[in-house]
Amino acid sequence: MNSKMKQLLTALALSTAVLTVPATVQAAEKAASAIDEGKKLAFSRSKGNCLACHMVADGAMPGNIGPAIIAMKLRFPDKQKLFDKVWGTPESQTVPNSMMPPFGQNGILTDSEIHKIVDYIYTL
Amino acid sequence: MKKTLLIALSLGVTVAATSTLATAMDPETDRQQLVDYFQAKNPKIAVDEYVNGAYIYSADKMQQWEAAEEFPPYLDAIDAGEAHYNKDIATYEKCFGTDVSAIRPKYPYFDEKTQQVVTLEGAINSCRTDAGLKAYKWKKGALAQVSAYLAYNARGQKINVKIDTDGARAAYEAGRNIYIKPTGQLNLSCAKCHTYNAGRKARSNLLSPILGHTTHFPVFRAKWQNLGTLHRRYGGCHKNMRAKPFKAQSEEYRNLEFFEAYVSNGLKINGPGYRE
Ligand code: HEC
Ligand code: HEC
Repeated sequence: MNSKMKQLLTALALSTAVLTVPATVQAAEKAASAIDEGKKLAFSRSKGNCLACHMVADGAMPGNIGPAIIAMKLRFPDKQKLFDKVWGTPESQTVPNSMMPPFGQNGILTDSEIHKIVDYIYTL
Repeated sequence: MKKTLLIALSLGVTVAATSTLATAMDPETDRQQLVDYFQAKNPKIAVDEYVNGAYIYSADKMQQWEAAEEFPPYLDAIDAGEAHYNKDIATYEKCFGTDVSAIRPKYPYFDEKTQQVVTLEGAINSCRTDAGLKAYKWKKGALAQVSAYLAYNARGQKINVKIDTDGARAAYEAGRNIYIKPTGQLNLSCAKCHTYNAGRKARSNLLSPILGHTTHFPVFRAKWQNLGTLHRRYGGCHKNMRAKPFKAQSEEYRNLEFFEAYVSNGLKINGPGYRE
């Protein structure tokens, strides 16, 4: 599809959406931006730096110390358990000598940052 | 039942390690267990090869590194080290004797009088200050260059650290604790990277094995663009762990070096080395 056409279609889709169901669109946009932020936090070296150890989507130069972050919904049907794993609650730390940092426990990330990261990786 | 067995198995070295810690630890058994662990993990890598750090895990990187070692960037530093040495040669010969190839292999050792580990760099500076000369700076520059000159002259001889007193055993154990205990904001330990995950990648950095960590120091790092001592590297790793580094030549880092050198016993000295 050429890009003009694509733009037109998107514009149409957006405008109809705005016209008909503005509330859901706003909610969806908010969610989308949280997911974007989550991705940024996950990739940032000074924040999550998840790529140091995990393959994550299209992230460049991933390490291979931890398992690939993929099929998170399957691995963690209960999203709270995924949050706990990244936060580093004692019950979630079951692997001996694991390199996985306890991000919430050690104050590396705030709960709100971890929520955003979890929202993002839950889409993978 | 099955689960506990699996967990016990995956703990492997740690289980053995903590139980030896509880009783009086025997460094030689401990060293042998570590060597066995690495051999079980990579049966194809001969123990001798561990002197080449992370490059043993990647044919590509090994090739690039071998090419770099053909015209190594540390040659000028060795010459500079020789010049520094010769400038104060009368002093140095009083401390170390006249055979420059016999100096590096004596370090680190445990000194019974002071009940402290003595490192090569520490001995060079004590030799200077005892004679009224100014001490060199610890992490790079003249000290690293003199150390490189002495390592270069000792290439091919083996690491041979001795532990036969309670004091030496205690220093080994103290160094080993620093190596194993998770610390810093990221809850990492040296062991997590250089034992359990050696050969894996953190981003694109291949993690080197502890065996051989001390053989090739001081090191010329592409990243530093100059020569640095082992303790400079320790400090860098502690910073990456978001932990407070100890000072170069602190008791902590001397003990850590003593531990890392002892487990590398039998490996050949190949310093100075080049690293990314
Ligand atoms: C320093 C290395 C390291 C970093 C950085 C790291 N992880 Fe991990 N992670 C691991 C290791 C090793 C495991 C496997 C062992 C375990 O489960 O503890 C793991 C496990 C996980 C798991 C469980 C996977 C499963 O299928 O069981 C999730 C989810 C996870 N990490 C997410 C993250 C996220 C999100 C980040 C960044 C905010 C991150 N990790 C950063 C090393 C790391
Ligand atoms: C998060 C991972 C990580 C931790 C934890 C870590 N290091 Fe490192 N270390 C590296 C990386 C990456 C390098 C560079 C690649 C290599 O040579 O291993 C390195 C390099 C080294 C080297 C140089 C190896 C060589 O061949 O020149 C030494 C020595 C070393 N580390 C010691 C330590 C000690 C001691 C600790 C604990 C105080 C420690 N490291 C903790 C990642 C780590």
